[in-house]
Amino acid sequence: MVGSGVTKVDRHYDKNYLVLIDEAVGKTLANSGLDASDIEYLIVSTAFSESILNQADPSTYIAQNLGFRNVKALTVSSGEVSGAVALDYAHALIRSGKASRVLVVGFEKMSEYPSWVINRVYSKILEYEVEGIKNVAPSDYAALIMNDYMRRYGVSRESIIKWSIKMHENAVKTPHAQLQFTISADSLSKALRISEPLTMLDSHPTSDGAAALLLVNESVAKKAGTTPIELVDVESSVNLPIYLRDDLTYFSATAAAYKRLSSRNGVKLTTNTAINVYDTYDIYGLLTIEALEICARGEAVKCVDEMPYLNVGGGLKARGHPVGATPLYQVHELRELMSGTSWVKYDGDISLAHAMSGPDNNAWLILLKGWV
Amino acid sequence: MKHSISIFWRLKDNHYKIYVTKCGDCGRVASLKRLKCPYCGSRNVEHVESRGFGELINYTVSYYRTEGSEQYLPRVVGLVKLDEGPVIVGEITDVDLNELSIGTRVEAVLRKYSSEDPNGLIYYGLKFIPVIKK
Repeated sequence: MVGSGVTKVDRHYDKNYLVLIDEAVGKTLANSGLDASDIEYLIVSTAFSESILNQADPSTYIAQNLGFRNVKALTVSSGEVSGAVALDYAHALIRSGKASRVLVVGFEKMSEYPSWVINRVYSKILEYEVEGIKNVAPSDYAALIMNDYMRRYGVSRESIIKWSIKMHENAVKTPHAQLQFTISADSLSKALRISEPLTMLDSHPTSDGAAALLLVNESVAKKAGTTPIELVDVESSVNLPIYLRDDLTYFSATAAAYKRLSSRNGVKLTTNTAINVYDTYDIYGLLTIEALEICARGEAVKCVDEMPYLNVGGGLKARGHPVGATPLYQVHELRELMSGTSWVKYDGDISLAHAMSGPDNNAWLILLKGWV
Repeated sequence: MKHSISIFWRLKDNHYKIYVTKCGDCGRVASLKRLKCPYCGSRNVEHVESRGFGELINYTVSYYRTEGSEQYLPRVVGLVKLDEGPVIVGEITDVDLNELSIGTRVEAVLRKYSSEDPNGLIYYGLKFIPVIKK
């Protein structure tokens, strides 16, 4: 990976998706030694462009409007993990030798309509014929999971909010983050309720944004003007719907993907490894660091303060969640961290991005390594 | 929200009735009428109609607003462990929130899912209410 770029995550009422993508792509190609005409594949990830923008296959119109000529353009849509799936495809193209220069672009425009319209769209990440039709919302499941976690492990409601407090502290130091302010546990009692006991302080905001990553093969990477980061491996797994799970507090898809990835690459995550995980809701962040075997089950709240490289960009909670672009924001933040341009210094060899659709329904992991 | 009429007809066994899927291979039981066992993937399954009674094992009072849901808020969304064994997700309705608790016995009833269809259609399906003592 020799380039990445993002827009500020925000409610961009004045910019359409092409303007956002143009900005992210411009930052990505700068210093890479490549321009749009060099790109062989343009892989676009979005979860909701058909629902929100009435636009099928936006990759075609991105290519037409942003100067990509003779490019193979396609759109990947796989719920909240769209960006991770797009990266996996790009990685496979490079590894197989079928392509040497692949640009992955993710975007979402979640602020196009009022929240009650967008909430319905976002609920499409659940199974429509079972859950959507009954108006079951993603936040309802997060609340049920939080209930079970608190009961099972005796964790207090006030302690869970520690996650969100840390995410906001990180977002204040991240220029592209959406919610650049701090919060405190005192605010919890006054926070707007979503699905009890879940409040706005536990949840991601509504976000617009675009992010891009440039993947190239080794020979192109050697000529790049920046220090490359290696995308080592991608792994994933699917879970049962939560009403069929024996234990709501264990993200078994994340755990299964991590076991395979860890075994194949000989890596083990610790509290000092840079990770960037999906905290659509704070309880999901806590369960993820337990599933990744960084913390013992029921102990995640105690670990949060011991993890200096946890979601340095502020996580979905505070950086924001422009859905189709979110995994690319995560990888961009890890790339900045590993190449020394983040707000915090990191000496580790590896880092990991974790994305998932719904409550661990479909979990993806992306392993990165410094260039040797 | 607009739904397809044919979906409600096609899914009548999962929205106007409750079925459970019993696996003849792994022995596990899952809620809803399913093509395959979700636990082992076997097609050797039997569909049995549930009596529609169970116990509330987890719930949330939800204020999550979606288009057309305003008149129903707050809603109670919960997990119900059916007497036949498996768990199903559903809405708990006609209930005093002060009297609701984990362990409440509930039964399935036909209620309105939504009525904001642009053509005036009203969609019905099963929800749960606390068991009526006779």
